[in-house]
Amino acid sequence: MRSKLALATLLLTAAQVWAHHSFSAEFDVKKPIHFTGVLTRVEWVNPHTWLHVDVKAADGQVTSWMLEAGTPNVLFRRGLTKGSVPVGIEVVVDGFQAKDGSPKGSARDLTFPDGRKVFLGADPGSAGAPEEDKK
Amino acid sequence: MNLRLPAVAVISAAVFLLPAGIAGQAPADVSRTARNALATKPATTWTPPRLADGRPDLIGYWSNNTATPFERPQAFAGREFLTDDEVRALERESRERTKASDFQVTQRPGEVGDYNAAFKEDSRWIVSTKRTSIITDPKDGRMPALTPEARKRFEADQEYHKQHPHDGPEGMTTIERCITWITSGPPMLPTFYNNNYHIVQTHDYVAILTEMIHDVRLIPLDGRPHGSVRQWTGDSRGHWEGDTLVVETTNFNGKRNWFGIAMTEGGGGKRPDERMRVIERFTQTAPDILLYQFTVDDPGTYTKPWSGEIPMRSTKGPLYEYACHEANYAMIDILSGARAEEREAAKGLK
Repeated sequence: MRSKLALATLLLTAAQVWAHHSFSAEFDVKKPIHFTGVLTRVEWVNPHTWLHVDVKAADGQVTSWMLEAGTPNVLFRRGLTKGSVPVGIEVVVDGFQAKDGSPKGSARDLTFPDGRKVFLGADPGSAGAPEEDKK
Repeated sequence: MNLRLPAVAVISAAVFLLPAGIAGQAPADVSRTARNALATKPATTWTPPRLADGRPDLIGYWSNNTATPFERPQAFAGREFLTDDEVRALERESRERTKASDFQVTQRPGEVGDYNAAFKEDSRWIVSTKRTSIITDPKDGRMPALTPEARKRFEADQEYHKQHPHDGPEGMTTIERCITWITSGPPMLPTFYNNNYHIVQTHDYVAILTEMIHDVRLIPLDGRPHGSVRQWTGDSRGHWEGDTLVVETTNFNGKRNWFGIAMTEGGGGKRPDERMRVIERFTQTAPDILLYQFTVDDPGTYTKPWSGEIPMRSTKGPLYEYACHEANYAMIDILSGARAEEREAAKGLK
């Protein structure tokens, strides 16, 4: 029964997933990004939050990146606000660059240098949890 | 409309004339659990809280967030309901899967991927009725077939989108354009985040605020006829049948290309016909449950009407404003990305 249920779970999960927009249309799979930078600005806006990060190259040149993160409503219900990601912190970014080649990227895997997840929040399982389960 | 009410709703209707609880006077931003806790009634004789006019008080914040699929998975073919053990196992596995993802990027090799767990709601719950699908009719829990005309329309839409995926905003989905989201309906269907609603009610109107993309349906209850203006979410009129709020919606503009049915046949693209008519029924069946039932009659698109139900759950408010146009940078990025690809392709032809 377990394998059948596991299959069903996959089906249930797959059925729910549909992004607000197509990430594959916005970002280029051939341009993965991985860097460490300093957070300079946070746009806690709809439909998605955007983080601005300055990245210094080996030659000292600084590039300002814009990184797309989650919908603020979900992050808010997860206990995260604009103040949860203060300007000045160092972050490690893994994602993909925009197709037009500009310094924009997806920031779906965002960590602190020690490996902690930036968007883990107070309760990683809480966003959208029904009231009775939050007690 | 062959909508079947659960026994508890019938019991509720039978005790319609019981006195109003004091919950009806509580402020709207107080959770329903707190409000209903004030009216300490035994579960067996539970009756919905009422407003001063005696109508059921549906005011509050509700969520249709669920792991129950829109259509019945083949693994449950022929079965309308899950057992308690299956519900527990599915919810546990769903929870473990969320934890296991550890909020890492979820892309497969060669794909940019979609949202990871940090971006989504925790949607591990199976609906309280334990149904194997949101669709209740047809009985196989799956969408009825498209009419030949709708099939032709759908295939033409698909082909156009294939040839011109990102020519301009006009050809993109209403989701990407910040016009309507699946949750706004009608019928109001869940997806993987922001599945929240705020219902406000007076004697003459019910207003339903859908969190995403911040749509409000103003529903007159005074018996006036439908108007003549076609709208993205149609033109709704409501009335009470016992303790059930019944809402009929017509006058859709026929331009929506995301309608819940997008989970079938690989994604969006299906547009309902302008003649579509949707009937919704809202019945509070327990302190924290608002049973939402719907029937879609769209003869220009489907070979027969289809129905479904979701027991919506009370949730906490207030809703965080989803002002989609606030910074829809993705639209710009998608279009500029498409132009960049076209330039690259043109270089290759030289």
